[in-house]
Amino acid sequence: MTDILVVRGAVKSYGAVQALRGADLTVARGEVHALCGDNGAGKSTLIKLVSGVESPDDGTLSVAGREARFAGPHEALAAGIATIHQDLGLAPRMTIYQNIYMGSELEKRLLGIPVLDRAAMIAGAQGFLKQLGSTLDDMTAPVENLSGGQRQAVAICRALRWKAEIIIMDEPTAALGVRETQQVLKLIRMLKANGVTVILVSHNMNDVVAVADRVTILQGGRSVQARATDGLSADALARLIMDERAA
Amino acid sequence: MKSFVAKYGTALAGLAVLIFLVIFARNFASQANLLNVLKQTSFLTILSVGFTFALITSELDLSFASLCSLAAVVTGGLVHAEIAWPLAALAGLGVALAGGALNGFLVTAIKVPSLIATLGTASIAGGVAFMITGGVAFVGRWDATFLSLARGKLFGIPTLIFFMAAVVLIAWFVANRTKLGVHMLATGEAQEAAHRAGIATRRMKLIGLTLSGLAAGIAAVLLVSNLSSAAPQMAGDFLMNGIAAVLLGMTMFQPGRPNIAGSFVGALTIAVLANGLVLLGAPYYLQDIMLGVIVIGSVSVSASVLKKAAFAV
Ligand SMILES: Nc1ncnc2c1ncn2[C@@H]1O[C@H](COP(=O)(O)OP(=O)(O)OP(=O)(O)O)[C@@H](O)[C@H]1O
Ligand SMILES: [Mg+2]
Repeated sequence: MTDILVVRGAVKSYGAVQALRGADLTVARGEVHALCGDNGAGKSTLIKLVSGVESPDDGTLSVAGREARFAGPHEALAAGIATIHQDLGLAPRMTIYQNIYMGSELEKRLLGIPVLDRAAMIAGAQGFLKQLGSTLDDMTAPVENLSGGQRQAVAICRALRWKAEIIIMDEPTAALGVRETQQVLKLIRMLKANGVTVILVSHNMNDVVAVADRVTILQGGRSVQARATDGLSADALARLIMDERAA
Repeated sequence: MKSFVAKYGTALAGLAVLIFLVIFARNFASQANLLNVLKQTSFLTILSVGFTFALITSELDLSFASLCSLAAVVTGGLVHAEIAWPLAALAGLGVALAGGALNGFLVTAIKVPSLIATLGTASIAGGVAFMITGGVAFVGRWDATFLSLARGKLFGIPTLIFFMAAVVLIAWFVANRTKLGVHMLATGEAQEAAHRAGIATRRMKLIGLTLSGLAAGIAAVLLVSNLSSAAPQMAGDFLMNGIAAVLLGMTMFQPGRPNIAGSFVGALTIAVLANGLVLLGAPYYLQDIMLGVIVIGSVSVSASVLKKAAFAV
């Protein structure tokens, strides 16, 4: 497997707070890579650099072997990196298909004038959801009527719509119950089966060992360990995070 | 059933009012009166449609009536100065458009909340209108072609109706069938999400406020042509009426959301109510009370977008 994303020595300060002090992250193509660490370890900050929301003070970023520098989220998107934040970035009162195609709507021509191609977007939305094994059928339902797991599916579909090769999910199960969490883990497995690389930020050790292939542990703005999750239990992972903290 | 009431309840209430007036208000159903109502409706509708675009992007525009008066005075002044009327009309449109764009610039680039920015623009526009006219109205001699613009008839139907229909249809099309419309909607519904999805949210707000100015300009030209006079504050009453029309419109068709069809029916309802009150011999102040009740009542039931915009101070 080749590395699709490599971050080296990322440094980022917010005023006096050093959120990252030389963090590394290496993600292989097609894997589910977990990013773990205690509160304030720098996980979200690292994600912001990779998704173009913030720019690093120092360090390098390369995507598929090429050095990258993102001036904004749109540039990260163009490079195939889509981020699903914890708030999912959905417009609750808009429909499923409108959310999936938000910002990249399909158009057709009516008497030479470009108009929205509603039928094509509805069919496309259905296709993306099916790809994730979702059973949602009314694409014109507002997103606010959906369960947490279903909303996650809609957010992922938007990333798929953008043809993202890397999907970053920040705490996707944090607000969810057991059943919905299982649904989201299933979505992540489906993404992997579709060849998408997933970076998963999570405090839930059970989730991490259940779906991740590898894990990078952050501590105080540095990466202290990167390893496979093979044979790792949730408890052992939790101990790893805490041991590093004691050290 | 419940959603039917939510979608069409207030529109049906408007229809009930209409039937009531047809039966009980003498002269309401006369041709002359109905034409008069439609005339009022057309100005109000055009202004309301503009305001709707601003509100769709979750920004308020409290300046559209003042911009309309200013544009009217500019157009009227130029026609009086014997400038070719198409140029005078274009100047009026341009002034109102520029006022709307100024609002958009203040809100998106300088980050002045729209409530404040447009209140300021309204005051400035009002002042400039007085400055131009010296406080008096342009009346008297007018170019006949210019007057026929909004006084004439086409196939026996007043041209004003065609202007109104064109504005409503084009606006509805843009809002509901184009990328621009859905981007404006997404901006108003969830700005952060829309921005992250690559939508130029600031540009959408700029466009929304600019369209409100443009609509004020269109209404201004028609108003001057129809009334054959131009005076500062001539459109002043349209502020409260327009806001009420749009808010009333938010209670129908797409409940809780500013929408073009709703604004049109809202404007029609308010023009009919105002006319009916006059015919029924109600004192003038009752209209103001009615508008207040409609504004508060509509927001109470439809909430969200406007509350969001209003509290963004
Ligand atoms: N915008 C900001 N301004 C100031 N300080 C910030 C900002 N963002 C993050 N920080 C600080 O940087 C450090 C790292 O924060 P970050 O959000 O990356 O941690 P995290 O690992 O995501 O934590 P959590 O698990 O709580 O989400 C923290 O000390 C945080 O307070
Ligand atoms: Mg975080």
